[in-house]
Amino acid sequence: MRRPSWRVEPTPPELGEATGRALAYIPDDGRFALYNDYGEGVSVLTPAPPGADAAGPAALWRTHGPPQPRALAPTAEVDGYGIFTFPYGPVSMGVPEAGRFDVRTYGERVLNLVPVGGFKSRRIRDAVVGRPVVDAALLIERMAGNFSASHVSAFLEAAESAEAKELPTLEGWVRGLAQELQRIYNHLHVIARVAEAASQNVGLAQTHALAEELLRVQGAVFGHRWLFGALLPGGPARRLEVADRRRLSERLGQLAEEFEELWLLFLESRTFVDRIQSTCPVNRSEAIRWGAVGPTLRASGVAWDDRLRIPVAPYNDLFVPVPHEPGGDALARVATRAEEVRASFLILEQILDRWTTAGGGSEPAAPSVVPGRGIGRVEAPSGDLVYDVRVTAGKVDALQLRSPSQANWPVFAAGMQDAVFTDFHFAFESFGFAFAETDG
Amino acid sequence: MSRGILTSRYPREPASDEEVPSTGRPPIPVAGPASLPSAQGSCPVRAISETVVDQGKCIRCARCLAAGLSFSGTVEAATRSRADLLRISDGRAPSPASPPPLVTLGRSLHLFLIDVGSCNACNLEVLALANPYYDAQRLGLFFTNSPRHADVLLVVGVPTPEMAEPLRRAYDALPHPKAVVAVGACPISGGAFAGTAGLAGSLEEIVPVDVFVPGCPPAPIAILDALLKLHGRDRGTRGGR
Repeated sequence: MRRPSWRVEPTPPELGEATGRALAYIPDDGRFALYNDYGEGVSVLTPAPPGADAAGPAALWRTHGPPQPRALAPTAEVDGYGIFTFPYGPVSMGVPEAGRFDVRTYGERVLNLVPVGGFKSRRIRDAVVGRPVVDAALLIERMAGNFSASHVSAFLEAAESAEAKELPTLEGWVRGLAQELQRIYNHLHVIARVAEAASQNVGLAQTHALAEELLRVQGAVFGHRWLFGALLPGGPARRLEVADRRRLSERLGQLAEEFEELWLLFLESRTFVDRIQSTCPVNRSEAIRWGAVGPTLRASGVAWDDRLRIPVAPYNDLFVPVPHEPGGDALARVATRAEEVRASFLILEQILDRWTTAGGGSEPAAPSVVPGRGIGRVEAPSGDLVYDVRVTAGKVDALQLRSPSQANWPVFAAGMQDAVFTDFHFAFESFGFAFAETDG
Repeated sequence: MSRGILTSRYPREPASDEEVPSTGRPPIPVAGPASLPSAQGSCPVRAISETVVDQGKCIRCARCLAAGLSFSGTVEAATRSRADLLRISDGRAPSPASPPPLVTLGRSLHLFLIDVGSCNACNLEVLALANPYYDAQRLGLFFTNSPRHADVLLVVGVPTPEMAEPLRRAYDALPHPKAVVAVGACPISGGAFAGTAGLAGSLEEIVPVDVFVPGCPPAPIAILDALLKLHGRDRGTRGGR
């Protein structure tokens, strides 16, 4: 079979102006470099293409043109007797989101798979322009409801950096609390979806129940199960008193114990482990070549985590474990997430322990790229999330983002080559994708 | 591993505070509609008018709390008509013209979830109905894998031009009798995206809607209430007790 061929796209521009902190932490080979071309109203934040594959993945992540359905991974020229394209989606219960997968196949074997996005574009990038930052945040948190804390944190960080605003220390703690709770929820959700695909009904029910518990904790602390509005000024989490924090900490302790028991049961289930072991493998060099981020990258043996590498408040002040696995398969991705659930419980404990109250000092303003423009970068549940925001007189002027799903689509497509279609759900769910944040 | 019975007592008993966080309930003017004119400016989606709160527009952002509203409405706020969503804030009963329940659908409902441009929160709240806390199967509510096997289309998200046609086709694929539930502010009014250029308009302009569930997103209990109302089995009727 031939290797995927790239669609011809304009060559990416040279690494442009400095991107502040975002650039400062880039490893020498440039694999996480960000560049931006703000010319002609088009802007992308893209990992620099590694070496010779210069026109490769980067070109695919551009957001040129209207958001009509578009390929999110390289299309391949696979042809032969009996080979056809099987479109899966955008309406299906298997993937309960509007997105399509074009599968080239002659039956069971997947010769090539192309995720197609753009079905649920709510035109958020355009809709925020001209709105005050705090109103724009209402749309940003709905970019992907299950990742709202990460999206809002990254957006606000970028906007604050653009306006050179100091960050009250308490805000940092609130954002950390929200992000870690939501990370645990999302990791549990991924484990539940994989368990569902593997017909692990007891494990599924238990994981679902734990995830629901997390939503209820979020509802109790932030007043909203999905943290909408929670990170904007004045949300209820800022009134967490000592007694509230102790109660919350106890509740999280119980949930952590329940999770330990549950995860051991999963690991003891041979059917579960066998089914996801060696499914959709992405080895270390492939993960780097395709620009994988988050648990997907760490499951391929690269210990990169924004919380550690690009420390913003509160993570600059916390112990952040970065679990990673060498396997690169669906099992490794699920196991990495399980380890991260443990890590997040540990981080939450630190946050609640060292919580400051209002007036407890402030963090210096993040350096802005150029006046009026800032980069915000956080480790979302599915990986590195970057916002590039321009602000004029308190209103959003332009906004671009690179979501972890966007970065990981080509990795998924690469891993699915030569798989069988029954692998699809195990593979797909192990990445923790959201078409919502890709489409925006 | 035994954790006892987790399942909600709803609808036999009212929803608990744990099941419904504050933003799960519709905002209501504490001092009556007289305070609404002064609260109008606080609403980013213009859900508050001089006399009523349009629950179909409200995205539960909590900005009106400082202007004299509170999240104290009933979580059972789903209505059979769009106009009834304007009656929740002042405690008026749903209009008598509300269409009667679709009893022709038999004893159980088969549900198909279709996403036409959502942020995923509504998708996940709908899917949460299958978790042990809500266990929708105990009420005869089942998810199907194809619109061909479904009685009810649960629509989440604000319709995008790309999804208008797939939505129409899914609706046509449902066998008769069929019903459509608009889950959340997005399909009802556009929600946070109301007024955004380039979207396909409200759900009602594309397919007929039978039940409107306000919220952003609606709590799973609110979605249960909507489905039971559609079926004439909600807490307001004999079937719900």
